[in-house]
Amino acid sequence: MADLKPVKVLIAALGGEGGGVLAGWIANAAVASGHVGQRTSIPGVAQRTGATTYYLEVLPQRAGDARPVLALNPAPGEVDLMVASELLESIRAVQAGYVTPDRTVLLASTSRVFTVDEKSAMGDGRVDPERMQEAANRFARRAVFADFGRAAADARCPVSAVLLGAVAASEVLPISADAFRAAIRAEGKAVDANLRGFEAGLALAEAASPQPKASAAPVVPAAGSPANELEATAKKQVPPEAAAIAIEGVRRLMDYQGPRYAELYLDRVGRLAKRAGADGAFIRELARHLAVRMSFEDTIRVAQLKLRADRIDRLRREAKARDDDLIEVVEFLKPGPEEIFSLLTPRLGRAVLAFVARRGWSEKSLPMRVRTTGTGGFLRLKALSGLRAWRPRTLRYAEEQAWIERWLSLVERALARDPALAREVIETARLVKGYGETYKRGHANWRRIVDEVIEPLLAERMPKGLLADAVLQCRVAALADPDGNSLTAVIESVRAASAEQRVAAE
Amino acid sequence: MAIRGESMEVSFHKEIESLRLGAGETFHGEGILAVTKALLQSGVAYVGGYQGAPVTHLLDVLVQSEDLLAELGVKVETCTNEAAAAAMLGASINYPVRGAVTWKSIVGTNVAADALSNLASCGVMGGALIIVGEDYGEGASVIQERTHAMALKSSLWMLDPRPELPTIVRMVEQGFELSEASNTPVILELRIRACHVFGSFKTKDNVAPRVSSKHRTGPAKFLYDRLSHPPVIFPQEVAKFERRMPAARKFILEHKLNERLGPKDGEIGIIVPGGLFNGLSSRLSLAALSDVYGGVRIPTLVLNVTHPLVPEEIAGFCAGKNAVLVVEEGSPDFLEQAIGQILRKADLNTKLHGKDMLVMAGEYTPFVIGRGLARFLAGYGKASEPLEQWLKSVESRKDEATKALTINIPPRPPTFCTGCPERPIFSAMKILKKEMGPVHVAVDIGCHALATFPPFSQGNSILGYGMSLASAAAVSGTQEHRPISIMGDGGFWHNGLLTGVTGAVFNKDDEILIVMNNGYSSATGQQDLISSAPETDGRGRGLDIEQALKGVGVSWIKRVRTYGVSKVAATLREALRTPVKGLKVIIADGECQLARQRRIRPEMAKRSAAGERVVRTRFWVDPEVCTGDHSCIRLSGCPSLTIKPTEDKLRTDPVAHVNQDCVGCGLCGEVSHAAQLCPSFAEINVIENPSGWDRLRHRLARGVRRLFEGRVAPAAVPAE
Repeated sequence: MADLKPVKVLIAALGGEGGGVLAGWIANAAVASGHVGQRTSIPGVAQRTGATTYYLEVLPQRAGDARPVLALNPAPGEVDLMVASELLESIRAVQAGYVTPDRTVLLASTSRVFTVDEKSAMGDGRVDPERMQEAANRFARRAVFADFGRAAADARCPVSAVLLGAVAASEVLPISADAFRAAIRAEGKAVDANLRGFEAGLALAEAASPQPKASAAPVVPAAGSPANELEATAKKQVPPEAAAIAIEGVRRLMDYQGPRYAELYLDRVGRLAKRAGADGAFIRELARHLAVRMSFEDTIRVAQLKLRADRIDRLRREAKARDDDLIEVVEFLKPGPEEIFSLLTPRLGRAVLAFVARRGWSEKSLPMRVRTTGTGGFLRLKALSGLRAWRPRTLRYAEEQAWIERWLSLVERALARDPALAREVIETARLVKGYGETYKRGHANWRRIVDEVIEPLLAERMPKGLLADAVLQCRVAALADPDGNSLTAVIESVRAASAEQRVAAE
Repeated sequence: MAIRGESMEVSFHKEIESLRLGAGETFHGEGILAVTKALLQSGVAYVGGYQGAPVTHLLDVLVQSEDLLAELGVKVETCTNEAAAAAMLGASINYPVRGAVTWKSIVGTNVAADALSNLASCGVMGGALIIVGEDYGEGASVIQERTHAMALKSSLWMLDPRPELPTIVRMVEQGFELSEASNTPVILELRIRACHVFGSFKTKDNVAPRVSSKHRTGPAKFLYDRLSHPPVIFPQEVAKFERRMPAARKFILEHKLNERLGPKDGEIGIIVPGGLFNGLSSRLSLAALSDVYGGVRIPTLVLNVTHPLVPEEIAGFCAGKNAVLVVEEGSPDFLEQAIGQILRKADLNTKLHGKDMLVMAGEYTPFVIGRGLARFLAGYGKASEPLEQWLKSVESRKDEATKALTINIPPRPPTFCTGCPERPIFSAMKILKKEMGPVHVAVDIGCHALATFPPFSQGNSILGYGMSLASAAAVSGTQEHRPISIMGDGGFWHNGLLTGVTGAVFNKDDEILIVMNNGYSSATGQQDLISSAPETDGRGRGLDIEQALKGVGVSWIKRVRTYGVSKVAATLREALRTPVKGLKVIIADGECQLARQRRIRPEMAKRSAAGERVVRTRFWVDPEVCTGDHSCIRLSGCPSLTIKPTEDKLRTDPVAHVNQDCVGCGLCGEVSHAAQLCPSFAEINVIENPSGWDRLRHRLARGVRRLFEGRVAPAAVPAE
C-alpha cells in the first residue's frame, strides 16, 4: 500500500465562479466512493474576480487503512488533471509548469473573460486564442477544449457544474459519473440546474477533440440586390482579393450617404489600384480603411444607427425580455460644440467654433438622455438623421474629405518609395476613430506621426526597411497609452536613428 | 433554529449543524471550522475576533449560531478591531474561563500588540487561545512577516499543527491545557491552505463553560500581582522564564505535542514545524523517503509547538547525527537560530542546515522544499535520482514554456465586482486627474484598495487598516493640491475615526478624506458594522458616520451618491479648491452591490411572479456606434463591461460589450456623460407586467415610428 499515489487535481478559475463548489463536489464524490479526497484553496481577495486556484488530492483507499498525509500545494509536473474555467487561466497553469506531457489531462474552456489589460487596450489587446490553444496542446498529455462557458449559459447554470461533467468524462479520477451526480444532489442547491449543466459538460467533453478552427464567414455578395451596379463596378475595378471588402465598402457608403458618394469611394480605390506596387492585399486594406474613414461618425450617422429598424428586436433579445414585457431604450448622448457646429457650412462653422473657443466654451457639452422608444426621442433623432442630404455641405464633411485626400496622397507618395511603407501609411488610418476626446486624440497622434515621422522620412534617403518599421512602431505606440508618452518616446528614437543614418551616409 | 447574519456573503446552515455533533460522530468540513468545533468541545466561555481571510469563517459561523451559543452560554463578540479582541482575553486573567480570539496575521497581531504584551506579562488563569490566520505566500493580501516574532518577544507560546483536522483539533484542546498549565496565552498559527483544507475528525460532546451568563460568578479578589503595572511587572518578567516556560516545556514533553517520526537513528535528520510537514512528506516521497501515509524513512522531528522549543528534545534528536535540516518558512530564521544555540550549549557537533539550502524569504512551495532537500541529501551522500530528475524537469519545462509561450500572459488581479458602488469614485478621480493633474492619494485596506490595479492605477501609500488619513498628515500642506485619503467604513470604525480623523481635526491638517459608506465590512464577506442598517436579521446599529464626524468636530462634510460621477467629481473639485482650511470629509454612499443583489433579486422575482410592475435595468453598447477605443473601459473596469469581436466587416478592433451580468448600476452612462466619451451607451429598461399607461405610451410611439417606416434603413441595406 505504501507506493499508492494520490491523483492530483488543480482547478484554475476566477474568484466568484464557483471553483470552490466544483472542488467540493469532486472531493465529496471521492469520499462517497470510498476514497480519501482532500481539497484546499487560497480564496482571499481573489474572490473579487481575480485569478485563483483550488487543489485536490484523491487517494483510492480501502477501509481500515491509516490516515494518509496529503499535500496542500500543487507541485509542478505532478498534476494529473488540470481544469481551467477560462482559456487564459489554462495558459497561466502551463506557464507555472502544472501542465506536463507525461501526465496532465487538461480540460479548458475556450470561453474568455478578458483581463483589464486586454479590455482597456486602445485597439485590439486580446491574447491570440489560437496560440494559447497551440501551447496548451503542446504541454498537455491530452487537452480537451470546449466552450464550457457557453454551455453553462445555455444550461442556465454556473460553469462549475459543466466542468464537473467534463471531469467525469475525462475519467482521470476513480469516480463514476453517477457518484458525481449524487454529489450534486447531496449538496442540495439548485440541483436541477446543476445536473443539467453536468450532463451538458459530460456530453461536450466526450465530443470535444482538439478544437476545430473557427473559420471567418466569407463575405458573399448578395446576387441581384439593388444598387448592384456599383458592386459590379467594384468587382471590375479592384483585384479579386479586395473585391469582397470593396463591395462591403460600397454598401456601407450607399447606406451612409448615397450612390454618388459610393462612386467617389470606388474612384478613390480605383485611383490607387492602378498604381505600380499596389497588389490585391494592399488594395484590400486600403479599401477597408477608406470605407471606414469615409463613413465618419458625425451626429447624423449616430442618429441613423440608433434608428435601425431591427434594433429594438435585438435589444429585446439582449435584455432577455419576455413577450409581454415592454422595453424602453434611453440613449446617453453628449455632443460638444465641435460635434454640433460642424454641421454648419465650413465658413459659418469655423466662425462659430472660433467664437466658442474665444469664450472658453470648447469643453462644454450638452448631456442628453434620449428615449428612442418614446415619441419625442424618436422624432428628435429622426430629424437629425434626415440631415443626410445636407451632409456634403457641412464643415465636418469638408474636414474629413481633406483628411482623406491627404492620407491618400501620402499613400501614393509612399508607394513610389516602398510598398511596405505605403502599407504602414494605410494602417495609420486606424488611429483616427471615435468621438469627442478619442477622436481629437487620434487626430493629434496621426498628425504627429505624419509631420514628425512620415514627411521627414519621405524627404530623406533612408534605407527602405527602416521606413516601414518606424511608422509601424509609431502606430503601435500611439495605441499603447492615452497620454501619448509611448508615442513621444518612439518618435524620439526614430529621429535619433534617422540622424545616425544621415551621419553614416555622410 | 434562528440564524442571524443572513446578509453575509456565506451562510453556514450545514456547518452550524455540525457544531452540534456529539461524542463519536464525524465532522466533515473546513479546517477553520474544525477549530470552531474544537473550541466548543474545549468548554470555551467566550470567543472574539476581527474578520479577515483566512480565519473569517470562524467568527461568521458563530455569529450565525445564536441558539447553540445561548444553550451553552458562550459569549461571542465581533470586536471593533484586533486590539479589542486581544483585550477580551483579559477575562481569563482573573477567572478560570477559557477564551479564544481570532484574526488575520501579521496585521491583526500588530494591532493587538499592546493588549497582548500586557496580557503576556501578568499571564492567565483560564486557558487563552489566539487563533491567527498566517496570511503568507500565494493568496496572501498583507505584508509578509511572521507572527512568530510576537510569540518570542512577549513569551507567548506558539502552536503550528500538522495541517490535518485531527491534529488541528488536538492542538486546540491541548493548547488550552498548555495555557493553563503554564499560565500563558497560546497562539495557534494556521496557514491559508490549512484554514481552507477540508477533512474530517471524530467529535466529542460540546462542553458548557463553568462561568457564563448561565453560571454567574462574583468579581475576582483584588490581587495586585495580576495587574500589568509596576512594581509587579518586574517579577512577572522573571516568572515568564523561571516558572512559566519550564512548566510549558514539561507539558509539551509529557503530552508529546511534538512528534518524532521515522527511524530512531540515522546520520541525518529533519526538523520541521507541523504546518509544513505535508509539503515535506510529499517531496520526501519523491526521494522514496516517505509515502502517502507520511511514513518518513529519515528521522524527522515535527514541531507542533514552535515556541518554546524544548532544548532536551532538540538536543536529543540531533545527538549522534552528522547533520540536521531545519525546514522553516519565512524570515528571520528564528527556529534555526534557536536550534543553533541549543546545539552549541549542548556542545553537539551536528551540522545545522536550513536557510543555506532553502530560501530565507518567500513561501516554501514544493519546488523550494524539493530543491533544499535535494541539496541536503546530496551534501550527505544520499542524493536521490528521482528528486534531482524532477527538479531538472521543472526547470527545463519552465524554459520550454517561456520559449513556447511567445505571448505575454496578462495578470488578473482582483477587481471591483460588477456594479460596485466604489468604482464610480475612482472613475471620477481619474476624470479629475486629467483636469487638475495628479494629487497625492493615501490608500487604505479594503475593497477600495483594488483601485491600485488597472485601470485606475492610483495611490501613493498603504500603511495599514484605517491608517490612510494619518499617513497623509505630513503630506498635507506640502503640495499644490490637498492630499486625498480613501477609507472604507470598515477601516473608519476599525480605527480610522480616532487615528485619522481626530488627529487631523486636532492638528488642523488641510486635507481630504473620502469615506466609502457601503454598509458592510465588504472585503471580508459583508459582515455588519456598527453603521450597517439594522435589518431584521442583521446586526447593524444604524450609527451615522456623519454624526460621528460632527461629534469629533469635523465641519466640512458632504455626502454624495457614488454613482453620480459628475456630482462626485464636482464635490471633489470643491474640496480641492475651497478656501476653507482643515479636514474635508466626503461620505460616499452606495450599498455593496453583492449584498444588495442578494437582497433584491429574490424580492424582484417574487414581485414579478405576483404580476406587479417591475422594471429591470441593464446597459448596452451599440456595436455599430462603438469604434473600439475602449475609453469607457479605462474609466470603469467593470467585469460586465467587456469586449467582443466587432460585427463590422470593415473593422477589426473588438467593440465594447456589456455582458449578461450587468446589474444596471448606471455607471456606464454616467461615465460617458461625465467624460464626454461617445454615444454608444444605452440603458435598457425591461418593464415586466407593464401598466395600462405603459402600454398606451408604447402604442403611441410605435404608431409614430410606423409613419416613417420604410424610410428607416435596416442595417446594411441601401436606403436610396
